[in-house]
Amino acid sequence: MPDIAEPQVAVDLPETATQTRRVESAAVFWLLVAGGALLLLMGWLLPWFVEQTASGIGHSPMDVIVSSPTGVGWLAVWVMGVCMLALIAGLGYDVYAVMSRRVEPFRFARIRAGLAVLGAACVLLILILVSSRTELIFGNLTPNALVDNAVWIMLTGFLLIAFAYGARSWVVSHGGLAFAAVAFAIGGLFPLMFHQAPGFVVWGAQSAGIYILLALGLNVVVGFAGLLDLGYAAFFAIGAYTTASMASATHGLHWPFWIIIFIGAAAAGLFGAILGFPTLRLRGDYLAIVTLGFGEIVPDMAQNNLFGDTGGPNGISGVDTPSLLPGLGRVDIFGSDPRPYFYAILVVIVLVVLLMRNVERSRLGRAWVAIREDEVAASATGINTVTTKLLAFAIGAAVSGFAGAFFGAMLSSVTPDNFQFAVSVTALTTVVLGGIGNITGVIVGAILVSFVIFWVLPELQGWMGTVGSNVGVTQLGTIQYSDYKFIVYGLILIGIMLLRPSGLLPSRARKVELETGAESEPLAAVQERA
Amino acid sequence: MALLEVDRIVKRFGGLVAVNDVSFEVDTGEIVSMIGPNGAGKTTAFNCITGLYPLSDGDVRFKDVSLLGMQPHRITRLGITRTFQNIRLFSYMTAVDNVMVGEHVRMHSKVWDDLLHTRKARNEERVVEQRALATLRRLGLERYADVYARNLPYGLQRRLEIARALASGPTLLLLDEPAAGLNPHEKVELMGVISKLRDDGLTIFLIEHDMRVVMGISDRIVVLDYGEKIAEGTPKEVRENPRVIDAYLGTAAGQAARGA
Amino acid sequence: MPNGEAPAAVATRAQPMRPKPTPPLLSRMRLRFAAISGQAFIYFLIAGFVGMVVAEFVSKGGTQTGEEILNGLQIGGIYALIAVGYTMVYGIIELINFAHGDVFTFGGMLSVWIGAGLGALGLDMTKLATSNFGGLLAALAIIFPLTMLCTGTLGVVIERVAYRRLRNAPRLAPLITAIGMAFLLEGIMFVAAGSGNYEARKDDWIGGNAFTIGSVSVSWPKLFVILVAAVMMVVLQMFVRYTRMGKAMRATAQDRDAALLSGININRTISVTFFIGSALAAAGGTVYAIYYNLLQWNLGFKFGIIAFTAAVLGGIGNILGAGLGGFLIGLIYVFGSDLLGGQWGNSIIFAMLILVLTLRPSGLLGMRVPDRA
Repeated sequence: MPDIAEPQVAVDLPETATQTRRVESAAVFWLLVAGGALLLLMGWLLPWFVEQTASGIGHSPMDVIVSSPTGVGWLAVWVMGVCMLALIAGLGYDVYAVMSRRVEPFRFARIRAGLAVLGAACVLLILILVSSRTELIFGNLTPNALVDNAVWIMLTGFLLIAFAYGARSWVVSHGGLAFAAVAFAIGGLFPLMFHQAPGFVVWGAQSAGIYILLALGLNVVVGFAGLLDLGYAAFFAIGAYTTASMASATHGLHWPFWIIIFIGAAAAGLFGAILGFPTLRLRGDYLAIVTLGFGEIVPDMAQNNLFGDTGGPNGISGVDTPSLLPGLGRVDIFGSDPRPYFYAILVVIVLVVLLMRNVERSRLGRAWVAIREDEVAASATGINTVTTKLLAFAIGAAVSGFAGAFFGAMLSSVTPDNFQFAVSVTALTTVVLGGIGNITGVIVGAILVSFVIFWVLPELQGWMGTVGSNVGVTQLGTIQYSDYKFIVYGLILIGIMLLRPSGLLPSRARKVELETGAESEPLAAVQERA
Repeated sequence: MALLEVDRIVKRFGGLVAVNDVSFEVDTGEIVSMIGPNGAGKTTAFNCITGLYPLSDGDVRFKDVSLLGMQPHRITRLGITRTFQNIRLFSYMTAVDNVMVGEHVRMHSKVWDDLLHTRKARNEERVVEQRALATLRRLGLERYADVYARNLPYGLQRRLEIARALASGPTLLLLDEPAAGLNPHEKVELMGVISKLRDDGLTIFLIEHDMRVVMGISDRIVVLDYGEKIAEGTPKEVRENPRVIDAYLGTAAGQAARGA
Repeated sequence: MPNGEAPAAVATRAQPMRPKPTPPLLSRMRLRFAAISGQAFIYFLIAGFVGMVVAEFVSKGGTQTGEEILNGLQIGGIYALIAVGYTMVYGIIELINFAHGDVFTFGGMLSVWIGAGLGALGLDMTKLATSNFGGLLAALAIIFPLTMLCTGTLGVVIERVAYRRLRNAPRLAPLITAIGMAFLLEGIMFVAAGSGNYEARKDDWIGGNAFTIGSVSVSWPKLFVILVAAVMMVVLQMFVRYTRMGKAMRATAQDRDAALLSGININRTISVTFFIGSALAAAGGTVYAIYYNLLQWNLGFKFGIIAFTAAVLGGIGNILGAGLGGFLIGLIYVFGSDLLGGQWGNSIIFAMLILVLTLRPSGLLGMRVPDRA
């Protein structure tokens, strides 16, 4: 076996930036289609996993199909099922076509869009029938029997596929906009879609929302500026503790939420610059270790009440909930209902995404790319590497400060346990999985990771119990699936790096850069050697 | 007062003296070349002038302002830009983006302008992009504006690096072996480009090995050998200087030159 | 010197000698700082250390100080054994092997499982170890090599599966893979050993006091740890200096391409490096299990970072440095915790890490500055 290193396969860039933009937009198309197909499957299979309860959740379309035939509803379910199968088969065909390059993909796109619309229409029909009639419609199933959540999920899936195939050329040319539109729509309707599962809406606000913000912030540091940060949770903690101290029973201060959220972000941003400072002259992995160290020191200091009373190991509790109209007396809609939080975080996410997109194509954004590629050349071109890097840290940290403020308000308490290394690693996983440097990508990554780690794994035992009792293998419900959290983490990280190091939706240039590029030497290293 | 005064600079790397007591000046509007055998310390001197290496001793003055201890980006802001011996472009950025990075020092957007995409930032972006395209046009590269730097042929990459160096509106341009790797036709083009830049008002100081290029465009030449300056003068003077011939071709040739 | 040459050929502009300017204050400070920071760090370290010992002596008395020194050396020995693996791997492929700390813990658990396995086969290790000194030696002679062999193999497998393909990738990729591997190992141990303390064995294998220095009694277990660590350091150093494979390792660390061209099998050399590093970490784990009789699934995380700090302090790439760094960090940790309170131990170590990397990145004995040459 020859010992010579294998020659690098030339993964090359298309000629121009316009071409790569097209390729990247095409990725959004795949995202929508794959997402839609996934939702279809989930919707169909959901009742297998979720316990049957009195509110009607738990009966599956299969129950309907095997029940005694009656009426238009039954026909609708059949048609819907056929459409779904046809679409999933079509997606499989497309994937095969693209990978083998032998057949032409995206044939009959319009027909498929049409099928999707038909399927969506059936779903709507079912929904109307089920919610409007009081007598039995499907055999002996009671009204509202069809899984309401499942219906919504399948409807969304159909509409996504219809949109993707129907408006294919627009989606491919305006990938970012298409994704934004879809995300906005789904985000806005999310609490409505899952009104039967408020726990899921809580997940949406507390896990998905928070981790999307963390991912966006970390993306600035790791993605835009190329500074590997393993201690991101520290800034999250600073934001959370700052806001919690100013609006809780512990200190007796009760400042309005909408003001302290900016103070928290500013505090986090300031510390971002401070903690970033020692790392400026360090090379990639040493930078990572030092940030890791900071990530450990900060919760430690909070636990030991270093900067005034931070509540020790128990943290700060009794954090105020935000009031809607500050100053005009408290309007408490932010209670235990997750929905206001969800919408508030959604608004913040949209604003942050806008800021990110702005800065990406600005003077500062270009400076970050320049430093990332070749720090020496960037400095020679006139970029002040120190301030530019510090700005990356500060801005990234400020975003996590926002997240921290929401976190404290939602959970009503902040403890050092919330900011351990696992949080930093999760944030990094979301960025890496989604595609370093790509705003759309890291959002997708955050949703996926927080879904798997914070929804699927904790719920898995219950689901497996249901599945087990359905198929008669009850042992499935006894395994403690959440114990396997770390193994799952580890496999995800290793898997990504070995199979697709640039993530799901990388920017094309970044992909080549990540798979073949050399590391940029820090300016200080060159100067110190001299 | 000369534009650039290099005043008895010394650069030591541990025990090795790479540049030893080198002094020369560059006047406004001149094209000055620095030549010498390999290892003579030319690029090291360059790196000292542009702030990449800290000087062990001596001083460099630009428009009578000492550059001692200045970081490279500040020196660029003063009006000195450079290219690199082994091209240091931003490979994964397009040509026009590379040049727009060059415009960095001439832009006034602050952080909040960038984040919020204020009208100030938007207008400036537009103006800067036009300027960048104009710079590309000036060097015959506007067809490649959208092409990634790493996809450009070698000769065009060299030109792009010059374009990027021009983008900040410098007074003094330092070129580190701009003709390396170019074929004869490209070298002639390069000489044309450099002359034209001088005619447009730039002062140029370059390191070069190709004697035809050096003799063709330089007003004056500085010769280094083993880190020391051994000659300075017009191309004709340097060409006939026995010490220079010594350094390049060996003592026998030098003696022959002296004898002749 | 040639004579008669035209003076005009060396035309220098005549100009008045200008006074030599000094660089602006900030740059002067910066340059000064860079020049002296390396030296200053050593003085700072010595001063800090002496200060700590004195503070301890003054506040807690001589006996306590002596005991803490002993404790520091003991835990430092374990750090040293782990640090060696970090330093060797970094030296040869410039990767911070995040999983190494968990290899240490895994080695410890493996030693327990092997013991239990042997017990199930009829050979009760604890009975053997506690019977007499000869029995103890026999037990150690069985457990140590077996554990080290298995864990060494684990290290080789990890490198082969996770790191080899990414050897030429930019720094981010292997780093993340290493973190993933760390999580994987921790996850496995979490499932296998539970979330709390994992009891290693019922009875202590080693007990009693060896001798006393003044009022400080040196117990056998502590002596055992220190001796094992020291001996392994020395053996390893001799291996690296005097054997062919050791030379190959040093060559590969200095210049991989040149080593390749000299006919060295790079893949095998790297595998051996991982084997040795992991084996030593396993030795550390086994020692830990014998001494403390307890393990936790996430022990490796904390110990890993501390050991890495030790490796950096001693000089990354330098094996004796890792040993020295390990013992030093052990002492610092113990004294720091005793003086400031146990909860500050980790923060002190992290602060040390940042200080070392900022002031003297090459460490105490390092020849390698942690930058690409």
